[in-house]
Parts: sequence; structure tokens; C-alpha cells
Amino acid sequence: METQAADIPGNAKPALTLDEKQLLAEATLKDYAIQAQPHDYYRAMRKGDPVHFDEKLGSWLVSRHEDILAVQADPITFSVNMGYHTQQARGMREEFQEILERDGGGYFPDAIMSDPPYHTRIRKLMENAFTAHRVKELEPRIRDAVVELLEQVADKGSADAVKDIAVPLTIRVIVEQLGLDHGMEAKITRWSAAVVAQISSMQNRETMVENAAQICELQNYLISKMRQRESQPSEDMISDIVHAQIKMPDGSVETLNFEEAVSLVRALLIAGNDTTATAIGNLFLLLATRPDVVRLLQESVDDDRRLTRFVEELLRVEPPVRALSRMTSCETVLGGTTIPAHAHMLLVYGSGNDQEEVFPDPRKFDMDRPNLGRHVSFGGGVHRCVGLALARMEVKVMAREIARRMDNIKLAIAVEDIRYLPTVATRTIEHLPITFTRRVG
Amino acid sequence: MGNLKVTMTDVNGTVHAIGNLNEGESLMEIAKANGVEGIFGDCGGGCACATCHVYVDQAWWPKVGEPDDIEGAMLDMVADVQRPNSRLGCQIKLRPELDGISVTVAPTSN
Ligand code: HEM
Ligand code: FES
Repeated sequence: METQAADIPGNAKPALTLDEKQLLAEATLKDYAIQAQPHDYYRAMRKGDPVHFDEKLGSWLVSRHEDILAVQADPITFSVNMGYHTQQARGMREEFQEILERDGGGYFPDAIMSDPPYHTRIRKLMENAFTAHRVKELEPRIRDAVVELLEQVADKGSADAVKDIAVPLTIRVIVEQLGLDHGMEAKITRWSAAVVAQISSMQNRETMVENAAQICELQNYLISKMRQRESQPSEDMISDIVHAQIKMPDGSVETLNFEEAVSLVRALLIAGNDTTATAIGNLFLLLATRPDVVRLLQESVDDDRRLTRFVEELLRVEPPVRALSRMTSCETVLGGTTIPAHAHMLLVYGSGNDQEEVFPDPRKFDMDRPNLGRHVSFGGGVHRCVGLALARMEVKVMAREIARRMDNIKLAIAVEDIRYLPTVATRTIEHLPITFTRRVG
Repeated sequence: MGNLKVTMTDVNGTVHAIGNLNEGESLMEIAKANGVEGIFGDCGGGCACATCHVYVDQAWWPKVGEPDDIEGAMLDMVADVQRPNSRLGCQIKLRPELDGISVTVAPTSN
């Protein structure tokens, strides 16, 4: 689809190469090959059609950094509520809801997937659990969990860096933070997949029913934990959510109702899981293929400020979350392109991070970028990732402990054979067989 | 209603003199409640986003003091616009000693 951007006077576009023209005309993010290696498609959009209608996907792709920021600055025109809930259990919502009400303790719509002003209240009630200072207090416990698991694999010599290291590490940590029971890795993986599948376009009725059963099991488990923490608070995030309160300017006290609290605990379990594991998978791929990144990590490992920068550049150069949904609540103009009302959009964070006017030489791993905080890997505006301090700290602790224990990390398969999850929302390595040695000294 | 006051110069150069403030309110919260342009406070005061970056007027620096390590690491993310008198507005809570403090909103990083 042609847009009007090119017609705006003074908005001259750089000439497209033939390849770029062809990508704009034919490529789609629905295509696995593009999902796996998207950077050329991103560049073609940024150059030739920044707000691009991907016909096969039925979505407007927002590819430029400044347009992503403009969307984030206007959460009413660009609604998360509409963008998310129209995706949920497409066409089967009623049946899905009935199953959860019957077997899963209730149907709890995602309170965080909402728009201001409701969203503002929900965010305020969550934020205290996630401040950088609060997260810092959790660091010793997280480090212990990470060290324990890494010690079990460090001598093995080979592993699947995703299934054997990144995923269990992340689940270990989230179990610790939320205050869940250990030894539930397999269950949590199944539950996460079921929740994520609710917003995927790949679900049919049979898989919907299977997934709903998983979500019922998840909710029943979480509800029992929450009931426990209601009477006996402890030092974990379930307690924080169950007992969250904020004082309003008029002196009244706001709390979360039970439906909201269940939906938030569920959201935290899921949101923090795949994203962080994806970041660790990406770290392993870089360590296995880029000696410059290995050297930078080794140089940064004992310097907290440097390591923080290393992690931030890792998240910029390989953003775990590729693209998330919005829906226009009215017709609007974005970056010179008119978008109709009720149009589905994707903010392509992966493309914003790759824009060379913002991050010169964007594919380079350069942890000295002076504007590192400009990346959009955590989104921005009122929906900016609420778990971002926790995510940074987790990735930092894992990177540090991996660097201290593992050496000579090499891919055990060819780079071309790396498979990604077939999804638009994240860019996640599925399996990453590696070999390594234990680091000495 | 409190009796503390602050002066904030926003990113457009507009000066906001704001009064009747309470002890404990952060500069980020005050800026947002009073339409001071350039302060966003995305993370809600969690010291995790650097969208509440201000330059503290030199005269007030000794009373405000240096950022801690966590805040310092966050300011480092906007190093291109960081200055020796940079602080995150959400980490400065009003107290009687800071009555009348004056700050300038930092431009966003490029
Ligand atoms: C490296 C890891 C992570 C990445 C890359 C990441 C990325 C993101 C992004 C891009 C958004 C913005 C959503 C949007 O634009 O609609 C977001 C939102 C969110 N994230 Fe994260 N996240 C990570 C880890 C976490 C963790 C550890 C938690 C909590 C335990 C978490 C909880 C959330 C929640 C609840 C939201 C919704 C916020 C809202 O809409 O107000 N995330 N995350
Ligand atoms: S509001 Fe996020 S750092 Fe101050």
C-alpha cells in the first residue's frame, strides 16, 4: 500500500534500492523468514514507508523511532485495551470465559492491558514492588538462585543454552521473586505457553480448550498462593500485590480488587518469563559468535556500571520484544500517513532500535553509546515495562555469573540452522546447542 | 496544603513558580501535576527510566547532594545530556531544607 508520506513537500525520501522496493511490495512479518531475519525489511520500511500497512498481517507497522515515541505519547488515540483484547481468543472468547469461570476460579481480564485513566491507577499500585532500589534488595537471593543452577551445568561441556540454561534460570528467578514453589519449571513453562497462545492468531478451538485448561490450573494455583499471603504476608511480590495500597490526594486509600490482583500476578509470571529468557538466549548467541562481545563482557564483569551498560546494549541490539499491539480509537495521522479508526497496529521496537540516525552503525555492539537509554526495548510512555529494573538486574546477574563460570562458548550447530519461535511479538531463539568449558581463575 | 515552593524551568524555557507543596512530594510528581514540559516520569518514580532528568541550580547542589549508585547508573544512560549537576527528579523529595529549590528540566537524550 502506498502512503502519503512520500508526497509531503520537504519530506524527500532517500532512493530505495531494488531489493528494498521488492521487500516493501512483497514481504510480510507473517513470513517466518522475515521474522527470523527482519533487519532488511525494517530498513526498507524506515526508508520508504515508515508507517507501513502489512497486508498479509492486516496490521500497520510503525517502524521509525520518532513515530514509535509519538504513539507512546498518546495512549488514548493508540489504545492498548482495544489492541490487546481484540486479539484474545479470537472468535471464541465466550467459550473461553465460560471455561475459566467454571474451572479456573473466575475470568480475570488483564487489568494492566488497559488505557488511562484506569491504567494509571493499576500502574501506581504495582510500581512500588518494582523500583530500582527495591529490586536491588532482591539481588542477593537472585544471585544465589542463578549460581546454584549454573554450578550444575558448568562442568557439562555442552547444553542447549535456551532449554537447559536460559529458561530454567529465568523460571528459577521468577519463582523466587513471586514466592512460588520450587520444582515447578515444567508446569510454569506449560502455563506460560498457554497464556501467550491466547493472543496468538494460531489458535483453533481444540488448542483453545487445551490452553484454557492449563490457564485454569495456573489460576487455581496462584489463587491459593494469594489467599495464603493475604493472611501471612512475606517478602515476595505476591505479597506486594495482594497488600498494595496508595494514598490518594484526598486522603482515601486505593487497593486492588481480587480480580485485578489475580490478573496482575498472572501477568507478572508471564511477562517476566519469556522476555528475560529470550535476552539470555541472545546473550549466548553473541558470546558464541562474536569475540568482541566476549571481550567486552570479560572486561565489564567486575565493574557494575560497565556491566549495566553492557546489558543495556545487549537489550538494544537484540530486543527480546519485537513488536506489540495498539489499536487506533479514531482516525489519525502518524508520520504523514493517515490510519483509519479501529486499525490494528504494531510498534516495531526492533526496528526503532535499529535506526541509524538514532544509533549510528546500529548492528555494532557498542556499549559506549552516549544515548543508550533511548532504545525502545522496554517500550516507553505510560506502558513502559513496569518490570524493567528487575529485568535489567536479572540479565546483569546472569551475564556476570555466566562470564565467571563459562569459557570458550561455541555453537554446536551452524548459524543458519538457528530456529526462532514463529511469532511476531518476540524474536526468540528456540534451541541453541552450545559447547563450552568451565572457566578457570 | 503544604507551604513549600519550587521553581522549575521547563524544556521550552518557561519558568514555573509552584507553591503550597508538601514535604515528601518528589520533583517529578510536582512537575507532572503542574504541567512542567519535558518531565514524563514513565517508571512512576522508580529510578528506572531517566525521563525525569533535571539540572539542579548550582546554589542548591550542596543541599541536594550527589546521586547514589543506582541513580548514577540511570543517569549514565542519558550520558549525552548528563551534567555534573544532573539528578533524577523522582529521587529528590521536598523537605523544609529544600524550600525554594530551583531546577531546570534537561532536554531528552538524542
Ligand atoms: C528483558 C526483559 C523484558 C523486556 C525486554 C520487556 C519488554 C517490555 C515491553 C517492550 C513492554 C511495553 C509493552 C507495550 O508497549 O505495550 C513491557 C511491558 C510490561 N512488562 Fe516487560 N519486559 C521485560 C521483563 C519484564 C519483567 C521481568 C516483568 C515483571 C516481572 C515485566 C512486566 C511487564 C508488564 C506488567 C508490562 C505492561 C506494562 C503496562 O502496560 O503498563 N517485564 N515489557
Ligand atoms: S520517574 Fe523514572 S527515573 Fe524518575
